[in-house]
Amino acid sequence: MSQADKMKQGQLTNPETPGYVGFANLPNQVHRKSVKKGFEFTLMVVGESGLGKSTLINSLFLTDLYPERVIPGAAEKIERTVQIEASTVEIEERGVKLRLTVVDTPGYGDAINSQDCFSTIISYIDDQFERYLHDESGLNRRHIVDNRVHCCFYFISPLGHGLKPLDVQFMKAIHNKVNVVPVIAKADTLTLRERERLKRRILDEIDEHGIKIYHLPDAESDEDEDFKEQTRILKASIPFAVVGSNQQIEAKGKKVRGRLYPWGVVEVENPEHNDFLKLRTMLITHMQDLQEVTQDLHYENFRSERLKRGGRKGPEPEEMDKDMILQEKEAELRRMQEMIAKMQAQMQNREGDGDV
Amino acid sequence: MSDVVPPEVRPKPAVPAKPPNVGAPSPSSPFPPQGLGFGGGGVSAPPPSAIPVPIGSHPSSHVGSHIVGHVAGHAGGHAPAHSAGHGHGGSHSSGGGSTLLGYIGIDTIIEQMRKKTMKTGFDFNIMVVGHSGLGKSTLVNTLFKSQVSRKTAGWTRDEKIPKTVEIKSVSHVIEEGGVKMKLTVVDTPGFGDQINNDNCWEPISKYINEQFEKFLKEEVNITRKKRIPDTRVHCCLYFIPPTGHCLRQLDTEFMRRLSHSVNIIPVIAKADTMTMEERQEFKQRVRKELEANGIEFYPQKEFDDDMEDKSDNDKIREAMPFAVVGSDKEHQVNGKRVLGRKTPWGIIEVENPNHCEFAQLRDFLIRSHLQDLKEVTHNIHYETYRAKRLNENGGLHPISSNDTQESNL
Repeated sequence: MSQADKMKQGQLTNPETPGYVGFANLPNQVHRKSVKKGFEFTLMVVGESGLGKSTLINSLFLTDLYPERVIPGAAEKIERTVQIEASTVEIEERGVKLRLTVVDTPGYGDAINSQDCFSTIISYIDDQFERYLHDESGLNRRHIVDNRVHCCFYFISPLGHGLKPLDVQFMKAIHNKVNVVPVIAKADTLTLRERERLKRRILDEIDEHGIKIYHLPDAESDEDEDFKEQTRILKASIPFAVVGSNQQIEAKGKKVRGRLYPWGVVEVENPEHNDFLKLRTMLITHMQDLQEVTQDLHYENFRSERLKRGGRKGPEPEEMDKDMILQEKEAELRRMQEMIAKMQAQMQNREGDGDV
Repeated sequence: MSDVVPPEVRPKPAVPAKPPNVGAPSPSSPFPPQGLGFGGGGVSAPPPSAIPVPIGSHPSSHVGSHIVGHVAGHAGGHAPAHSAGHGHGGSHSSGGGSTLLGYIGIDTIIEQMRKKTMKTGFDFNIMVVGHSGLGKSTLVNTLFKSQVSRKTAGWTRDEKIPKTVEIKSVSHVIEEGGVKMKLTVVDTPGFGDQINNDNCWEPISKYINEQFEKFLKEEVNITRKKRIPDTRVHCCLYFIPPTGHCLRQLDTEFMRRLSHSVNIIPVIAKADTMTMEERQEFKQRVRKELEANGIEFYPQKEFDDDMEDKSDNDKIREAMPFAVVGSDKEHQVNGKRVLGRKTPWGIIEVENPNHCEFAQLRDFLIRSHLQDLKEVTHNIHYETYRAKRLNENGGLHPISSNDTQESNL
């Protein structure tokens, strides 16, 4: 607070700015508060095994999220269904704390029949929304832990000719629940021409099937040219074709992270070799935006759907109930009318009998 | 062709039944003796005595019939008609060996077979299995250095991924050094591409059995064709995706079910995804898994004939599955034009053994084991099918021109 006080005092006592109140300082206060509080971010990675998901996550955040990883053999994989594994890591950089949760989905797409590999994933996403909704509606709202999935990296295999049927179905099932960022994995399999062709095909297929992937917001008009240019470049490179590695290789006299082949070295952080830097830039500069879209769009969608259903888990919205109630009431009325008519007829008969 | 070397021509001391015509050269062996350039070019040195010494009173023991019988099995149906004439003019052999006192020319049978084969040509049917995008067509084109397989450069809007596995076979005749080969490539689009891939191996298994059935029906016929067209699948290249982890469930299921009807050669596709260490680890893991599942890929251990075969094949089995890269584009490297893939970080040369094992696969498949693949298919897989077929339902009824005629086998 001392910094804010000092600034306030300086401005108040400065005669050249008489009308200055000092609330332009608010962003700084917010900034300091949030830096102290730290940020939370949940990232989900989905893709078949062997696409380099774990390596990429480790490269992105320069940590080792999976220290004792044992790759199971095919025999062990047979009985497994898709599982959800969430690992949390606290990273700190220049005083800013980030609590990063990475949700991994081993077993996705591995079985011969992959019909139900996404129901587990979708119920996980819904569960996180449910939990947040519950906490938000609770009495004590001070420490709501936000475990909602803010972003989902979907890994597309570079070996195919575009999206596979499984890719299309999965993305369509989750594009209304989470921000989907398609990523082309193991991009060092492709030559530059093949990469361009694949990207174009994927974008065409995404359009054709109506999949809503996460779109970077356009740069505001008051941002500087560099940022605008950067945003333009980022938008043009989706889906990002990435290569991940945490091994240090000696290339051209300096140590770089990369992969060593007999025919050359693929540098992870070289923009001419792959889009790793672009992916990282996008993730970091738009982390806030991803969280916002999750809150404002996906969460609100979920919430309104949920509240419409009321306490029941069934899929009956309230309008139908009203109709049903009306119908029931009408049926009752009709029954009562029939009963009255019958009673009247009986009474008439009795009178008739009585007369005779 | 195969490395068939006729057994050492040690004639056994013959029973002197009929002394051959003195001075006359043994019938139907062309003199002067030619080099044994069998299937690989290269004329070997002519046998020591170039001028035939009239054998005279020495019983020239003809082991002709013996050799011919052995070789006939290899040539798969070509030789019998040919060798029958050859085995005629001599006496039978029996007992141990004795040295030839002159050159007869028996070894020229190799040359005769070569000429015959060159005239008739031979056929080879190869099947490629693997899900789309693994570079199957490119690899086949690179192997045979011609556009024998149409590449699916991507499914166009109208061509969707087929709902079931289709079998498409395309034949080409390629010629090299006077030898004509009818190469048939059987492609299996749609394998492993669906969400639900249950039983996607069934159409493939059915196709293989249908080819065996066709051949069996022809063989069992009363009036047989002189040369039965051979559409049986001699070799199945199974493409393993380079995940770097292990085999997928689909891979093991497929190979387990089909390794007893066809020669399966597993191949690691698009091997430029992996560094050398990753490649070695992956190969080891794949081999262990194949062993654990009891999958016998070609060359199968049980069919090794002798120690030499066994040691050769052991070396090959250690190196399998081959990690290959295919390409049909040429680039300039160090002043030479090589087939390869050009990336911003270097050029991957397809035929460079330090980059990938394509050259090894090619040598193995074409230059040393091509004939053996056909033989194993004919002698083992086909025979298994035939035995099974003949055992069920009391056997086959041959198709003859007379419909009422029937005979039990």
